[in-house]
Amino acid sequence: MKTRKIGVLKLHWKILLIIMPIAALFIALCIGRINISPSEVFDTIMSKFSSDYEVSQIMYKTIWTIRMPRILLAILVGAGLSCAGCAFQSLFANPLATPDTLGVASGSSFGAALGILLGLGMVGMQLTSLAFGTVAVFLTWLSGSGKGRGLGSIVLSGIMIGSLFTALVSLVKFVADDESQLPSITYWLMGGLDKANYTSLLFGAPAIIAGIVIMFLLRWRMNLLPLSDDEAKASGVNIRLLRIIIIICATAITASCISLCGQVGWVGLLIPHMCRMAFGGNHLSIIPASISFGAVFMIVVDTIARTATAAEIPVSILTAIVGAPFFIFLMRRNGRWQI
Amino acid sequence: MILKVENGNFAYSKGANVLNDINFEVKSGELLAILGPNGVGKTTLLRALMGMLKWKSGKSYIDGEDIKSMSPKMLWSKMAYVPQAKSASSAYSAFETVLLGRSSKIGVFNAPRKIDYEICEEIMDSLDIAKLKDKKCSNMSGGEFQMVLIARALASEPELLILDEPESNLDFKNQLVVLDAMTNLVHKKNMACIFNTHYPAHALQRADKSLILTRGGVSYFGNTASLVNEDMIRKAFGVNAVIGEIETEGNVMQNVIPLDINTNDTSSSFDSDKRAIAGITIISSTNEMYSKVNTILHDYNSLLVGRMGLPYKKFGLYIINITLDGTVGEINDLSQKLGVLPDVNVKTVFAKI
Repeated sequence: MKTRKIGVLKLHWKILLIIMPIAALFIALCIGRINISPSEVFDTIMSKFSSDYEVSQIMYKTIWTIRMPRILLAILVGAGLSCAGCAFQSLFANPLATPDTLGVASGSSFGAALGILLGLGMVGMQLTSLAFGTVAVFLTWLSGSGKGRGLGSIVLSGIMIGSLFTALVSLVKFVADDESQLPSITYWLMGGLDKANYTSLLFGAPAIIAGIVIMFLLRWRMNLLPLSDDEAKASGVNIRLLRIIIIICATAITASCISLCGQVGWVGLLIPHMCRMAFGGNHLSIIPASISFGAVFMIVVDTIARTATAAEIPVSILTAIVGAPFFIFLMRRNGRWQI
Repeated sequence: MILKVENGNFAYSKGANVLNDINFEVKSGELLAILGPNGVGKTTLLRALMGMLKWKSGKSYIDGEDIKSMSPKMLWSKMAYVPQAKSASSAYSAFETVLLGRSSKIGVFNAPRKIDYEICEEIMDSLDIAKLKDKKCSNMSGGEFQMVLIARALASEPELLILDEPESNLDFKNQLVVLDAMTNLVHKKNMACIFNTHYPAHALQRADKSLILTRGGVSYFGNTASLVNEDMIRKAFGVNAVIGEIETEGNVMQNVIPLDINTNDTSSSFDSDKRAIAGITIISSTNEMYSKVNTILHDYNSLLVGRMGLPYKKFGLYIINITLDGTVGEINDLSQKLGVLPDVNVKTVFAKI
């Protein structure tokens, strides 16, 4: 195999990484309970911006009100979780790190379950979910960090805080009314993008987008993350600040994603590793690649989720069913990858 | 460029001092070796002098300026650190790794520019590792990875290079590659260079100045030639050694040959004028050496208080047990004289009195 030129993406890859999510978005708009031809989809999209295109009301509603927010959410969640996962794997120099490593997901899940239990409604639930996600990370940081302790102890306390909040979720389920609340909590925890609408997007998207953009801009700097403490310090860069920024970004992304669509597992583990196998360890490549492939993967999975059967399949079930075999296939074919 | 450490004391929280009153300085064009046995605090010293650990008291200065008051960016553009190449687990290629050395010169949100690539290529060329450019660090040999780490440190264009045991895990050839690279940087590029080592020979062969750390926390600093001698090696490493000169074509190299472990060096708890009772067991495997042993023993007849009859002879071995009463210095002299003989094994045991 010929070695790539110093770890920077080649032009055709750059173009492909931009085009793929757009193409996936367009194709996903065509597929659904009613299949719409690509030209009609195009007309419908254009009708929003120009009066030259005329489409039926039902077409307009299907595309713009039902499918578009959902696919946009899929893009955000896929891109965000992959990016956050990639950052955490490098930060903790641990191939098993996921966006949930610091307990965000468990905290957010608890917040959401609590929101349902208290009957707070969609926006209220989103808020409690975000709040408890942040609280969980804060607790993890508080208990794990300290003088002379490495990042390893933060990972450990992340596991502890995570299981603490998982237990609290069970507690909420236990006291929930098993006629109405329990099913909706359980269903919500399995994750699904069916709740997508513009209001919740408006509420959750900015944090996700901000997180992705900051990490994208820091992508070369992130190459310093896997280095040992002394090496990182000797680079002359404020490594502590860099780590804190990465943790804040990843937390904002993960908590927002979970508040929008429940727990979507696997994406944050699977996609970054795929990108590492394909592009090596340089974050100049793997951050953009993770963002793009994450978005595409999520669009594909969600499209399957809403079209495969008459009833919708929870998305985290699908990410695992689609993801695990694919990942194993890649791993066996490709041999090895590293942080 | 002058790096100076004054009265450096260091202790891990609440513990006893690991480093006691360290004083030294190193200038551009000088190579300083920090010598000492494993676990004596060589790496700790490096980390403290670079500001990664806090001195309990004392300071390090670069060109008269306290390191603590310098911004990290400023500090690390003057000096660079090469850590121990323990595990090459990084997924980066050699070139990506070297580029990381330019971090402090590249803006937070920027990627490396053309000039950064050029500088790194030049450095890899000058260290003769250009062919490694695309090789993954995890697939490299220890020697290759060590050179890549040196290149990474040089990428920030420092005036002072600090290396932590750069040659300790390498084979002969790679040791020479690394030592030559350091020597060239100091004498051709006029850099200052500090390296940790537990090989006194490398200090003798390369370093202008040496700092010797001993277990008792006492340190010695001076010109290598006058500082690193047999006595000092015994003090620092607890090993009886001889420093020999080996003539090669046009060069005399100094080499250190460790002879045996200096068992009675519990740092000055035995002083050499103190009276002691000791037993020595001598095993000679040749008849020739047996007679030499006897000649030496004859010289020390006054110390002998007991000798177990005739030597035990079997399988061509001559085993002699003697009991001695004399000063620690005399007994040590005797056992060293016996110990340097080929085909002779000597063990000295001092009585606890």
